[in-house]
Amino acid sequence: MDASVTTQAKGPDARAEALVASYERAGYARVTPAILQPAEPFLDLSGEDIRKRMYLTTAPGGGEFCLRPDLTIPVSRDYLASPLAGKPAGFCYLGPVFRHRSDQTAEFLQAGIESFGRPDKAAADAEMLSLGLEATAGYGLSVPDIRTGDVALFATLVAGLELPPAWKRRLIKDFNRKTNLAQDLDRLVLGGNNARPEYQGVLAALAGSDPKGAHALVTDLLSIAGINAVGGRSVAEIAERFLEQSALGASAKLPREVRGLIERFLAIQGDPDEAAAELRALATEANMTSVLAPALDLFESRTGFLAARGIDLKRVRFSTGFGRGFDYYTGFVFELTDPARTGDPLVAGGRYDGLLARLGSTQATPAVGFAVWIERLAAYGGAS
Amino acid sequence: MSAPLVLAVPAKGRLQENAEAFFARAGLALIKPRGARDYRGAIAGLEGVEVAYLSASEITSQLAAGAVHLGVTGEDLVRELIPDADKRVVLIEGLGFGFATVVVAVPQAWIDVRTMADIDDVATAFRHHHGRKMRVATKYINLTRDFFSAQGVIDYRIVESSGATEGAPAAGSAELIVDITTTGTTLAANGLKVVEDGVILRSQANLVAARGASWDASTRETARVILDRVAAQARARAFREVRARFAACDARLVESAKEKFGVATPFGGPTSSGMLTLHCPPEQVYALTSFLRENGAEAVAVADLGYVFSRDNPLYAKLEAGL
Repeated sequence: MDASVTTQAKGPDARAEALVASYERAGYARVTPAILQPAEPFLDLSGEDIRKRMYLTTAPGGGEFCLRPDLTIPVSRDYLASPLAGKPAGFCYLGPVFRHRSDQTAEFLQAGIESFGRPDKAAADAEMLSLGLEATAGYGLSVPDIRTGDVALFATLVAGLELPPAWKRRLIKDFNRKTNLAQDLDRLVLGGNNARPEYQGVLAALAGSDPKGAHALVTDLLSIAGINAVGGRSVAEIAERFLEQSALGASAKLPREVRGLIERFLAIQGDPDEAAAELRALATEANMTSVLAPALDLFESRTGFLAARGIDLKRVRFSTGFGRGFDYYTGFVFELTDPARTGDPLVAGGRYDGLLARLGSTQATPAVGFAVWIERLAAYGGAS
Repeated sequence: MSAPLVLAVPAKGRLQENAEAFFARAGLALIKPRGARDYRGAIAGLEGVEVAYLSASEITSQLAAGAVHLGVTGEDLVRELIPDADKRVVLIEGLGFGFATVVVAVPQAWIDVRTMADIDDVATAFRHHHGRKMRVATKYINLTRDFFSAQGVIDYRIVESSGATEGAPAAGSAELIVDITTTGTTLAANGLKVVEDGVILRSQANLVAARGASWDASTRETARVILDRVAAQARARAFREVRARFAACDARLVESAKEKFGVATPFGGPTSSGMLTLHCPPEQVYALTSFLRENGAEAVAVADLGYVFSRDNPLYAKLEAGL
């Protein structure tokens, strides 16, 4: 047996059961999804990197299965398979999840909530943070650090900028990835050019020409070479991106003020009221008030609901850059940590409106939720 | 008698031939006392060694587990199959055969793709466009994942492929591949091109030691003998012996030969009778002989070397440092 794999047999303690019981009283139906799950949705949504942390197995028929590495995807899948699919519904859970972790047990407990289909997003967001705070309070930590963000704000900002689509795509992707963003901005300002040296002349010539004609030319050239769909990308797709490169090479040079705008945007942090004021001021200055209005309205409405739930706004730390690195969040994100310790969150969650569609839902279904790391909380002494 | 040192060598094909030839050159003839079909063998004239014939991937996992002491396997397999490889094994020496490069290759028709940064961008666009992730066919799952991760590529899926990987894009089962190539001709024949900065690993067959094997005094001593012969043979192949005699030979001339031709003086400077023995890299031999004659040598003899043993044993030192 591999000594690096430690299993644990201890069940949830009384405080964890009490926590989930309180979530049930708040109207969230307790569910117990299967431990053994098809691996595909996790790999597809979380990326290949999660594969090395997952416990995978193969069924005799060839299907790939795993021990669930989290509960959000299993709860979402069960919801989609139920008659409730598409309708407002809320669930809570408590159970083991399995991830390979070099210095900790592979099996550990998570509790949490998933809320689907609620149209009143701001109120739902605020309720999640409030229920998350109940979890830490139940373990005797009544004033955790509260870090929040809203990834929809950056997405909206980028969508509203006058940039070629390829650059928008890259900025969003690199925002999610926590790296490279500064590098991207540098390239943009320098008149970023990743066109191929030997195609430079052709690309420059095509850049000024009629886009439809250029597209037809490149498509024809590829067809003459006897190339149809290759490896799942169509000739049209290849031609389109080839020409996009010419656009990047020839025209795009990010004006300094746009770069400055992005950097100032990402530097905004403070309590939600301060941040909102700064964001409004920045939007006005950049002449993007109407572009950013929907996202900012939602943000301020959420702040109102947080206050209404008795959360001290002065303790809520908001940052426009927080939430980077999580591909599937689409809006509000939050983390509760211990001010006396560093590192791992005790409670973490957010809004993931795109997840159900990626799991096969045909209708857009808003979703928000969070997970509670039971063993991390169990380290605290007594309940309040 | 204590347990033998287990040396694992490939059980079939060119790798087996090359490995056997390699050990034979080092004076270590692999023999199968119980017949050619046997999967256990020995080294002629060397006690305490058991030769295990295994497949290359099995050799790799046995090394990782410490079930064999030494083995011949490709670095690609070591990096792919052993997590934290450097903690479990020591790559002692590249053996000069079994060369293969692990590369990222895309259809030639992707005229918009030249670098990994392009792949990154195409991957993201592909997901938006098709609602699914781009697929990478490979048998090098771990190498691919680590490389793509280091390059910041996230929107892709790995499709495990155990053979004929280069056919996957044409067959429609993947968009691109990660595979080994030696000359690139198979890739080109399948309409694929290597991405410029897409070389993941340049691999060759290696003599590898397992850190987790039971290394007692006797297996260490056996390993020392084997590695001593391997090192002596490697050194012998790296040089030709050049002997000359002439009156005007002095230290200054030897210094200048060292500088110009990279020669070694295994037995020191010229003897009192003017005899000089030099070890010279093969490609410099003719230039050196000309130089010596210009400086007064009457006759210069050049000979191949069988072995060059020296007091130090760099390969064994490497093994010992790793245990």
